[in-house]
Amino acid sequence: MLYRRRFLATGLGMAVSGLVFPRARAQAVERATGFMQQTGSQLTAIVNGAQGAADKRRAITLILEGTVDVDGIARFCLGRFWRIATPEQQKRFLAAFHEVLVTNISSKLGEYKGVKLTVQRGRQQDDEGIVTTVVERPNNPPTSVDWVVEKPATAPKIIDVIAEGTSLRLTQRQDYASYLTRNNNDVDALINAMKQQTANSQ
Amino acid sequence: MHAVVRLSLPYRSIFRTACALLVCGVAGCATPPPADDPDAVADFRQTNDPLEPTNRVFYKINDGLDTVIMKPVAQAYRYVVPHPVRTGIHNVLDNLGAPVRLTNDTLQGKPMRAGDTWMRFLINTTAGVGGIFDVAKSAGYPAHDTDFALTLANWDVPEGPFLFLPVIGPSSPRDASGFIVDQAIDPFTWIGQGTTPHTIGSWTRTVVGAVDERESLLDVIDQIKKTALDPYATFRSLYRQNRAAKLTTLRADNAATIPIWWPRGKAAAAADQTQNQTPR
Repeated sequence: MLYRRRFLATGLGMAVSGLVFPRARAQAVERATGFMQQTGSQLTAIVNGAQGAADKRRAITLILEGTVDVDGIARFCLGRFWRIATPEQQKRFLAAFHEVLVTNISSKLGEYKGVKLTVQRGRQQDDEGIVTTVVERPNNPPTSVDWVVEKPATAPKIIDVIAEGTSLRLTQRQDYASYLTRNNNDVDALINAMKQQTANSQ
Repeated sequence: MHAVVRLSLPYRSIFRTACALLVCGVAGCATPPPADDPDAVADFRQTNDPLEPTNRVFYKINDGLDTVIMKPVAQAYRYVVPHPVRTGIHNVLDNLGAPVRLTNDTLQGKPMRAGDTWMRFLINTTAGVGGIFDVAKSAGYPAHDTDFALTLANWDVPEGPFLFLPVIGPSSPRDASGFIVDQAIDPFTWIGQGTTPHTIGSWTRTVVGAVDERESLLDVIDQIKKTALDPYATFRSLYRQNRAAKLTTLRADNAATIPIWWPRGKAAAAADQTQNQTPR
């Protein structure tokens, strides 16, 4: 009797999950595309807007904090060196990484004036949503850009940008790894180099 | 974005380059990390750059040459030649690459791509006035890039370690061999060889091709050099990812060549539309 009930329960569970999961997937993909639509229009509004550089930087920082998992990306970029780093180094690395990201994006805004971002479609890959967009800017061929969104159904945040097949966070991780290997795995040296870089481009 | 400097040269220079590489290649090898650090070993394997010290020397030389020659020339080209004219020049160069692309599309067993290349060549050479205007694109024949190295990759030939070649830039044994084969299967390498017009023509094509490519990468390379802590490692990573992505796109592109009016054609075409990535 107990067996039968358990069997029934399992069967019912499977049937329900079979019904629910595809819908949950579709919803997650829908949420991810909606999220990117919104974030994309926020970003292009700032890039094409008339405010000054300082205001734009502030606006970009705000959007990044709300829509991008900067800490997660930073940890990914430090890779195996995250475990070598002391808690204090980790903290300083995260702070430097936020600065680098905002500075890099802000310094590019001028080039992207007149940009148009069109969301094409979304799909789910493992637990992440991938939203394909086309970025068009004046005098440049259109570029295909994929945005990787974590927790698309509950708390969507961007964790990677893949431009024409090249992942931004993977490239950054390999840049840092090579720098660290050539500098005796010294995380402090990396943080200083990152700070130097932000200072130079400001 | 092809964040990659790949300059074409006549095949003779490539041969010389390959010899130089063989001689210098034995000079420096990267020291593997100690075996008791498995993460570092995994990183080392994944990077797959055993010739890193030698590669870095060539990177420095190329970077120096680029700073004093290629970059200023590309900047001057952008400054002097108006954008529509540069597009026209780019289109002509692209059209001249059609025979090599057609051969590779065929060897890769991609009938739709081969058809696109063939139609593009016919339309752009005639209606596009010798390839100046890309009218085939609006007629429904999208452009794609391919080469013999991708053909080899499609045949499961492994990539091999990373190479940074003098003048050519980032490469691998597979990409370098593919590059040589591409020169050999290009009819323009052979037609009228030894005559003055051929010599002038092939050198013009090489030089203008290099300038055209460098101009298109001006902003990208500047940006990388400004933001990367180790530009060599960044170029290596971008080059590898870019090549891998091209192979993935190539393998996924199995568009059928059934006519649209054929009973099964419509469904297949609709499926292709939803499945295919936009820039094929």
